[in-house]
Amino acid sequence: MNRLVALVLLAMAWSAHAAEAQPEPLKLWHAYRGGEEAALLQATTLFTEKTGVRVDMLALPYDAYAAKLTNAIPHGAGPDVFIFNHERLRNFQGQNLLAPTTGTLVRADYFANTVAALEVDGQVYGYPMSLKSLALYVNTKLVPRPPTTTAELLALLPTLSNPAEGRFGLAYESGDFYFHAPFLFGFDGPLFDATGRASFDTPGMARSLAFVKKLQDERMMPQEVSGALVKTLFNDGRVAMTISGPWFAGEIAPSVRYRVVALPTVSETGTPMKPFLGVEAAFVSSRSEQSARAHELARFLSLGESSRVRTTVGRQIPANVAAYQFQEVKDDTLISSFREAAKDATPMPNTLEMARVWEPMKLTLRAVLQGGTRPEDAGALADRRYRALHRERPPEASPMPWLTLAGVMALGGGTAWVLRRPAQSQTFRQRYPDVSRAVTYVAPAAAGLLVLVFIPFAVGLTLSLFHHDAGQYTFVGLANFVDILASRGYSITEPLSFYFTLAVTLLWAVVNVVLHVSIGLGLALILKDPLLKMRGVYRVLLIIPWAVPNYITALMWKGMFHRQFGAINGLLVALDLEPVSWFTRFSTAFAANVATNTWLGFPFMMVVALGALQSIPPELYEAAEVDGASKWTQFRRITLPLLKPAMLPAVILGSVWTFNMFNIIYLVSGGEPGGATDILVSEAFRWAFQRNEQYGFAAAYSVLIFVVLMGWSVFTRRLMKPEEAS
Amino acid sequence: MSEVTLNGIKKSFGSNLIVKGVDLQVGQGEFLVMVGPSGCGKTTLLRLIAGLEQVDAGEVRIGGARVNDVPPRDRDVAMVFQSYALYPHMTVRENLAFGLTLRKFPQAEIASRVDEVAAMLELGHLLERKPKALSGGQRQRVAMGRAIVRRPKVFLFDEPLSNLDTALRVQMRGELARLHRRLGATMIYVTHDQVEAMTLATRVAVFNAGVLQQVGPPLELYNRPANRFVAGFLGSPAMNFLEARRDGANLVGKGFTLLSPADLSPGAANVLVGLRPQDLRVAALGPLAGTVDAVERLGFDGYAFVNTESGPVAARFDKGTQVSVGDKVFLAPMADALHVFTEDGSVALRHPVERESLEVAS
Repeated sequence: MNRLVALVLLAMAWSAHAAEAQPEPLKLWHAYRGGEEAALLQATTLFTEKTGVRVDMLALPYDAYAAKLTNAIPHGAGPDVFIFNHERLRNFQGQNLLAPTTGTLVRADYFANTVAALEVDGQVYGYPMSLKSLALYVNTKLVPRPPTTTAELLALLPTLSNPAEGRFGLAYESGDFYFHAPFLFGFDGPLFDATGRASFDTPGMARSLAFVKKLQDERMMPQEVSGALVKTLFNDGRVAMTISGPWFAGEIAPSVRYRVVALPTVSETGTPMKPFLGVEAAFVSSRSEQSARAHELARFLSLGESSRVRTTVGRQIPANVAAYQFQEVKDDTLISSFREAAKDATPMPNTLEMARVWEPMKLTLRAVLQGGTRPEDAGALADRRYRALHRERPPEASPMPWLTLAGVMALGGGTAWVLRRPAQSQTFRQRYPDVSRAVTYVAPAAAGLLVLVFIPFAVGLTLSLFHHDAGQYTFVGLANFVDILASRGYSITEPLSFYFTLAVTLLWAVVNVVLHVSIGLGLALILKDPLLKMRGVYRVLLIIPWAVPNYITALMWKGMFHRQFGAINGLLVALDLEPVSWFTRFSTAFAANVATNTWLGFPFMMVVALGALQSIPPELYEAAEVDGASKWTQFRRITLPLLKPAMLPAVILGSVWTFNMFNIIYLVSGGEPGGATDILVSEAFRWAFQRNEQYGFAAAYSVLIFVVLMGWSVFTRRLMKPEEAS
Repeated sequence: MSEVTLNGIKKSFGSNLIVKGVDLQVGQGEFLVMVGPSGCGKTTLLRLIAGLEQVDAGEVRIGGARVNDVPPRDRDVAMVFQSYALYPHMTVRENLAFGLTLRKFPQAEIASRVDEVAAMLELGHLLERKPKALSGGQRQRVAMGRAIVRRPKVFLFDEPLSNLDTALRVQMRGELARLHRRLGATMIYVTHDQVEAMTLATRVAVFNAGVLQQVGPPLELYNRPANRFVAGFLGSPAMNFLEARRDGANLVGKGFTLLSPADLSPGAANVLVGLRPQDLRVAALGPLAGTVDAVERLGFDGYAFVNTESGPVAARFDKGTQVSVGDKVFLAPMADALHVFTEDGSVALRHPVERESLEVAS
């Protein structure tokens, strides 16, 4: 009887506990910053107040966001709800990352085109939150009457521009296709042909590029413009107009008076410059364990109070029709201006094809605006790059021969080992009585190696035999290697070719190591002199480049190499020399990379050389001097040979580091021009994360890098042998 | 012509005056040994001759020519370093040939000279080894060979034997002496070991605190030291010094009275008496008395260290004599054993008449 009472009490306690237990918080991922992030936080707080469900927000860097989602969600490590633009929709949907909104989404709540943008095969995925499109920001003090046509714009710009004073009529991120699209559509250029394939080589493309090139050539617009630069120039009143989206409003200084108007109409065609319409939506993950709650959150974020907060705090243009009934939203001219501007906007296709447009277009824009490519040739350039990047899936291969081969080799190896093993008179335990302790000592390091080296290596090796497309892995055997080594799709003199990149990489490694060693050794020789005053101070100063994280140095040098605002061109101009457009030619872009990496690399060599120099007994020099050696002979016959044992490993280490020096290439030249300065690792990175997620292809690249470095290490071991022997 | 002449050499490092005006002549074919305590400037002087340091004042002449501004490689000298300074990345053959190669000798000439030197120093089987694979004595010989092979005007040795063990040192000492006889070259040798100085030198130069104290044949320095420093530096155990004053025909000190030598010229009342321990015997009776503080037995004879009223005094005793610590003993000088110096020890006033020369005279 007592036992029964106890059991009942226990059950009651348990159920009470269960009722009190909070539901798992919903995970919400986004890539917002500043006002938009604050607005989202307010909106989720409202949600928590209303439903009692907590929300964990995670902000991700935009560059890595898509890759993170496609990797995390299939493994159940992703968010319940995430905010993304609709451009990637078909990609995500193809990988089964999204839950459809059937039954919960009411079409009438949103503008029709925003819902249409989220439709795939009749199903709607995601809740439209906001519109994004471009419009013209005008500094009203400088431009009282905004231009409505390109003719008016062309007439107005010269009066506003004075390159000598650093003033320009217009500045926008001209190297980014998102910003160029309005020009393309304004000049009646289609982006896709009748079959839905991207088409670049069109008259509209040529004319739109020629128009923008003219603006830049006539100094009405600055070159190599970044978002940060636009912000600075517009806030300083040095740029009268800019093309940007609603997010830019939050970056304008309070003192600047401005208006937002629709982009002008192209006078030649009579077509308005139509920007892309982007729809940001709250998507529900297909793997969410709290699907109902997740849908509730996503829908909540897209409607009602949330839209009001996102509009007023986050400066977003809501997709929710009802939001425009709020007084604050009605009164907000910026919001309504953008709503007006978005009317002409072309909804950005949510197809995979769209995702493939960016890199070829980026290349083309750079080639025209910074390089010497003529606008009429640019389309063909983009088309070729497009075809090279989006290679067809190689024919599927059967893994059976491979598995059989692996099996046979394992079996053969095992048999050989068993047969060739010398006969043991003692058991293993007898021979190694302390084996368990030995294993304990070795195990942590072995486990670390296994997890950090061997497993990733095996996975990479395996991956190189597969083709990846939108979450689908297909076994293709050696096709990736064949394509790389046969340079299929592009000649071997093109930057995309493996051989071209390999040559650049080798050149990169050799030039860098030679400079590092010679500069490092030279400085070490100077610093060694005991008569040098303030030796310690110089030594510390010279080691500083090494102590600064290399990506910070890389970003500083990148800034110094800027065409118009960089310190190096400033110096050239001060010396009455022509400024150099560093990243438009291979030689200068490569030189910029080398300069940066040399700055980073010489201190290591200097420290090694200094240590080695100081370990050479001074009597050797005296003996040589008495023996009849000049200073130069002493350096050649005594210093160099005695430095060799210390410098050779440093040189080998340095060459491998340089060979794989991703940071500098990625951050300084970014592979410009047209991927020519990319080295093998940065090329592999681009194949994996910037070109349709061709993981298999990228893995094959990595394997080839491994083979090259393996060969190098075998070679250098030979070099080191005589040193060790003596 | 390969004599070396030093005129008024001065050298300082920073505010440290290391060599304080040295005049020295080293004749053709001479083996001059420079000795002195650590820091006396002897190594600096050697480096000044080699040209590894520049003189602050004075003149260095080699073979009659002034070489103050001539770099080491053009002075035609060879130097053997204390640490040998062999080139570690070269084989023994390359080490030996290095100086000749730099002077652009024909290959055949280089080969024959290297082989000759290797044979002379028994290095033949080591020619292809690197210094790391050699023993201390072998390295020493390579260092020597590197100097010999060049046939320079002057050989300079900077304590070349100090890193060897005793047996090897004795052997190498012999080889060096033989080498000098064979080559007949001018050699200048720095050491702090008086045995090396006494056995090797044709002349010894004794330095103290950057000043040349005395230069001359080894026995002359031993028998007729110019001052208290030279007298005390050469000879082991060191000479005993006793303060004394002239008193008629006697020299009287604390607790002793010695007969003043007849040839002692008159002068200041206070003098310093020097007695080599070898000239002083532990005896049944003698002018000096004291308590034995320590005893060193060397087999055939030994030395007793005795505390006298005038301070500690070392004296020899013969095999048969019984001496123990704590004994009260008397010390008797041999006939004509007295060195006499001025009170401050700076000038010698008389020396015992050398027995050898006595014998020659008789």
